[in-house]
Amino acid sequence: MTMATQSGTYMDRPSGGGLVDVVDLILDKGLVIDVYLRVSLVGIELLTVDARIVVASVDTYLRFAEAANRLDLARSGTETKGLPGMMQEIREGGAQQKTKGALEGAKDSVKDTVGGMLGGGSDEDAEDQDGEAEESRQPKHRSRPASRKDRSR
Amino acid sequence: MVPTDEKQARVAGAPAAAEAPATGCYVYGILAASATDPAVEKLTPVGGDKETRVGYVRHGDVAAAVSPLPGGRPLGRPEDLRAHADVLNTLAATGAPVLPFRFGTVLKDTQAVSDDVLAKGHDSFVHALERLDGRAQFTLRATYDEEALLREIFADRPDITELRESVAQMPEDAAYYQRVRLGELIYESVAARREKDTELIKERLGPLADAMVVSEAPTDDGVTDVAFLVNDDRRADFERTADRLAGDWQNRIRMRLLGPLAPYDFVAEAMEETEGEA
Repeated sequence: MTMATQSGTYMDRPSGGGLVDVVDLILDKGLVIDVYLRVSLVGIELLTVDARIVVASVDTYLRFAEAANRLDLARSGTETKGLPGMMQEIREGGAQQKTKGALEGAKDSVKDTVGGMLGGGSDEDAEDQDGEAEESRQPKHRSRPASRKDRSR
Repeated sequence: MVPTDEKQARVAGAPAAAEAPATGCYVYGILAASATDPAVEKLTPVGGDKETRVGYVRHGDVAAAVSPLPGGRPLGRPEDLRAHADVLNTLAATGAPVLPFRFGTVLKDTQAVSDDVLAKGHDSFVHALERLDGRAQFTLRATYDEEALLREIFADRPDITELRESVAQMPEDAAYYQRVRLGELIYESVAARREKDTELIKERLGPLADAMVVSEAPTDDGVTDVAFLVNDDRRADFERTADRLAGDWQNRIRMRLLGPLAPYDFVAEAMEETEGEA
């Protein structure tokens, strides 16, 4: 199982990076010139905060519980799920195209929020999206900090 | 942060001149003047205007990658975010260091970029670029396979398995608190595993990097996000080691390695240290 000799045999090496990857990298990182020279365009500032909210709450617990209930314990474990199946899943878009599991609920809500906030659609549905974004922006429960970091060298 | 300055208001394209939409100069990042690669000219600029191209503003030994920004429309579409990242990633791929700016940095015009940014920060930029020379960022995103993770937890914790079975037999309404409790127990088990797996990533890959920044994964199924600053000399070793770890974990954790990237997570530090040393 550990005979990987070529780079990228087991790992996913996306070339472009999905929107979530991009958002994570460029919205709250990088140099800022100076408060007085920098122009923050409408909506961007808010997004940096709200797109990263991670909810660990009753909702989260219930999602885990549902996932646990859906799981068919009688089926054989992951040992039988060989590498080819795994890799195919990854190549086919991995998490994004997989049936939505409970654990991915949070990711989707991040995407929805981002999608809603960023617009990207026509002007017609812009208002609609704004409304949704407004709603999902409200952090209902917040017991994990949005971005806790440990720096080490 | 409130744009009180007149200059800002004009760039943002909001109030005054309605008939003549304001324009600005979008800034992607800073690099050595000797490293300005024409590859960026082919990329779609932030704002998506087909008439404009990404180019450079030079001053002394440094240059800024910029593009004209048409006014009249707020930034922030997914394409805008991708365009910003594409320019920086393209520059990072050339092997020369680039100091990435945060998304949404707009100045009045190229003159302002030259005078207010490049001239003022010239020496700091040069120093930070020297520090980051020969190194690139790699960001590792590890996520759990949900099913494998749950199976692992059930196998380890008979108490959780038992609770799950009793919850499954109750009508949904009646079992509300038991379901919350079940989810909570699973959540805690996930957290414990997350901590352990994050440690292993740091242990295996940390020694191959010059610096690392560990962040909490942004999603529930995430293990961790770790940014590594990797020296070119050790890049192959780093990638091999990461892949070996992915192989060890192949059925339980998916590993995605982004890079080489502009040093998003290390640029602030490189600039700070510059000031401290000078």
